[in-house]
Amino acid sequence: MPTAQPTTAGDAVRFLEQATFGPTEATIQEVMQKGPALALEEQFGKPMSGYGTFTFIDPDPGRGCPDGSPDTCYRDNYTVFPLQRAFFRNAVGASDQLRQRAAFALSQILVVSGAELETMHGIGYYQQLLMNFALANFRDLLQEISLSPAMGEYLDMVNNPKPDPARGIEPNENYARELLQLFTIGEVELNADGTRRLDADGQPIPTYDQDTVENLARALTGWTYPPRPGATTRFPNPIYYLGRMVPFAAQHDTGAKVLFGSQPIQAGGTAEVDLNAALDIIFNHPNVGPFIGRQLIQHLVTSNPTPAYVARVSAAFNNNGQGVRGDMRAVLRAILLDAEARGDAKTVADFGKLREPALLVTNVARALNGSSDGVYLLQQATNMGQSVFQAPSVFNFYPPNFPAPGTTLDGPPFKIMLTGTILNRANFANRILFGGNVNPDATVAGATGTQLNLQPLQALAGNPDQLLDRLNLILMHNTLSPQARQAILTAVNAYAANDTLGRVRQAAYLVATSAQYQVEQ
Amino acid sequence: MCFQILRRNFLKGLGAITAANTLPGLSLMNAYAQAANDYKALVCVFLYGGNDGNNMVVPVQAAEYGAYAQGRGAGAGGLALAQGSLVQLAQAGGARFGLHANLAPLQQVWANGDMAVLLNAGPLVQPVTRAQYRANRSTRPANLFSHDDQQEQMQTAIPNNQASIGWGGRLGDRVVALNAGSTVPMNISVGGNDVFLRGQSVSAYSVPASGQFGLNGFNNTAQANARRAALQQLFALDRQNDMVRSAADVISGAVNASTALNTVVNNNASLATPAFQNLNTGLSRQLFAVAKMIEGRTQLGLSRQVFFAQAGGYDNHQNQIADQGGRFNELGPALRAFYNAIVALGVQDQVTLFTLSDFGRTLRVNDGGSDHAWGNHHLIIGGAVQGGATYGAFPSQALGGPDDTDSDGRWIPTTAVDQYAATLAKWFGVPDADIPAVVPNIARFPTRDLGFMA
Repeated sequence: MPTAQPTTAGDAVRFLEQATFGPTEATIQEVMQKGPALALEEQFGKPMSGYGTFTFIDPDPGRGCPDGSPDTCYRDNYTVFPLQRAFFRNAVGASDQLRQRAAFALSQILVVSGAELETMHGIGYYQQLLMNFALANFRDLLQEISLSPAMGEYLDMVNNPKPDPARGIEPNENYARELLQLFTIGEVELNADGTRRLDADGQPIPTYDQDTVENLARALTGWTYPPRPGATTRFPNPIYYLGRMVPFAAQHDTGAKVLFGSQPIQAGGTAEVDLNAALDIIFNHPNVGPFIGRQLIQHLVTSNPTPAYVARVSAAFNNNGQGVRGDMRAVLRAILLDAEARGDAKTVADFGKLREPALLVTNVARALNGSSDGVYLLQQATNMGQSVFQAPSVFNFYPPNFPAPGTTLDGPPFKIMLTGTILNRANFANRILFGGNVNPDATVAGATGTQLNLQPLQALAGNPDQLLDRLNLILMHNTLSPQARQAILTAVNAYAANDTLGRVRQAAYLVATSAQYQVEQ
Repeated sequence: MCFQILRRNFLKGLGAITAANTLPGLSLMNAYAQAANDYKALVCVFLYGGNDGNNMVVPVQAAEYGAYAQGRGAGAGGLALAQGSLVQLAQAGGARFGLHANLAPLQQVWANGDMAVLLNAGPLVQPVTRAQYRANRSTRPANLFSHDDQQEQMQTAIPNNQASIGWGGRLGDRVVALNAGSTVPMNISVGGNDVFLRGQSVSAYSVPASGQFGLNGFNNTAQANARRAALQQLFALDRQNDMVRSAADVISGAVNASTALNTVVNNNASLATPAFQNLNTGLSRQLFAVAKMIEGRTQLGLSRQVFFAQAGGYDNHQNQIADQGGRFNELGPALRAFYNAIVALGVQDQVTLFTLSDFGRTLRVNDGGSDHAWGNHHLIIGGAVQGGATYGAFPSQALGGPDDTDSDGRWIPTTAVDQYAATLAKWFGVPDADIPAVVPNIARFPTRDLGFMA
């Protein structure tokens, strides 16, 4: 364990924006005393929250929710609602904040979407798997997601037979292609600092071609769902999401394959042998560190990291200091303790990231002493364009290179900044601040609603300067400019000094709806 | 390969071309601006995931159908549509093609002469043969067969993914002056943020396809007015950070234009309502909103508009017969309703709808689906369309044949998206000399007018 290295309040809040779902009174104090390095190590050891265990429910809603079932049967078993609710509840209240943030980032890189897979426990099992492996090794994570029945179904690796000339069919290429393009190496060769390698003509160099996709697709044939309890494996097994997919030898293409034009997978391998060989080759491709590392930086810290920052994270991916490649804890240390991440603020013009909806609503809830059962927050994030675990496609809610409008910078979450979702961001602040507590949803077992506690801020509101100081710290790690602060102060003073609630609402609304807050710097 | 254009009413098209060619850019703009009742709109419908055009437009005559059916596999897992199920697209001398049965609502639009089919179009670096494609990587668009790259290439008409603006945006840049005085943006998406509408000076504005939208909580009290004033002030501050500036502009744009557009999109007395009466799909809601914004053009002060709508779910690697059939059950009725709506609004000759998609799909099947490919067929609808005809060349259906990149039926496009865009741009009023400003690589292709617009 590193020793405690006290830090400033601004740095502590900033660290908590990056490594958790937002600062709270208690965690600000804790990080100020211990410093980011020790706080990070302690996070690695927190007990896991997660989604628990799942039991099999028939994937056909007609059988799983027969006539006479409660109205909530479909919502609770064939939509991701229970998972989303648990996600937001844990994000606001559970202690394993870093693991949750890492798993959430991974859920947006290694995408399986509940928009297509409707069986709740299938997605739940997958999301729990990301929680389990978020702080482990990336190679093991690749193994697990590749054999996950939910991923198998989402990207068609499950029940993918070997070529059949009589029927004129070739293996399904879906998983093979996206495993390369989105989950591991990307489309073009990268330097360790994440910049593109160029050929003699100054053109980017493709990492793979259609031949590699087809060879990889063949290497990944012959897997089916795990057998249901008591059943014998056949091809294809019926849908079953609990456990790993199983091989079915007769449907595996045992011919030789070549990846990237030069890396062979020998003929005669079983489905397991070929999968391992393929994943080893892919995992050891030099692109993985910069490709995954840069995206993790974008999810946690800033949308446009410098090449030097990416290179430091790639180096940690390539070697954790003990010769191990793919150690996610080393990667997270490199990202969160980097000089570009630490300090009170960055004043570089291209620094920062637009808060994505899930992080916006949890940040507001945590910073304003909130508590939530998740229901209201999941609805609000959905209204803002981010229904977690329900990305529109395997390309997530936004691609890593989506441009911030009017700039040449990457600003991924701007993809979901539409007129409607923008207004919903502001209207969320209006409702949660001016509307009071959100009552529990009577159709949800154990619901407690969503509440903020504005009392500590009201205690400061007699002196608007103190109120703004506090909001500036907890929501913006002291980055509010004097001019912006003055604009808010003027509006706050439209409320009488004894209307402390009005003043807090006015001030918090303006901070939370400002572009300055929407962009975490 | 022969570039074959089948065109109906060729002379009607030529007349418009000549008029456009004789006028220099600026005076053309002025001429248009002064014309009474001058209005034009383009509506892009993007089919995300890569629509399998092989099963949208299918050859119906024996020999071609036979080649198609052979490529689509036999028995379980095959994708050949039954010959008798296809909705015939009548042509003089007998139909050569039929539509997927679930697109039957479009048969009448074709019969009216208001729908054309563009065959085997896609992103191209230059015209390319199978031999050239196979010999030289530089003849290929970047990262072929990937969703996001080909989406971008179809929307930018730039094959190397170096474009940050779309051809709908560049089109807007050329004609935005015609909308002078309007406070409402001309390029509007009802289908999310993508590059198509983003221009150099014109930015893409999004509108919710249904429901009221606006800022809540401003009830005209002194406190609320102070809040509103501060909100506006904050947009103008701290712009030294690029991300903050970008966010401020996007947010203030949304806040400022929402009132006018909310009124138009939620017009309960719209003449387009009957056309959409029994539809409630994602795409129908979007196109209904587009119809209402077209209807509200005078109120919004706009004489040129470009719209973007979209439907997803076309990445049918598995279970394609059912899944694509379901998508077409949305697409056919929604496009037909939009056509009926523009007729009801009396603007059918001023509005053109056209489809784009990531890519076509392999003719060869995997087990029940098809994989990412390249050239694809598209639909163009409107009164100004030289319809009831196909344009471009239908690919040989032979696996490993002259139009195949390899042996799985990935068609090498014989028409570039550049030409597709240029043809629409010309109709939209962009003078010939300015076409390269909209479609920068148009000179690489033999013709810039495919003839499908009057």
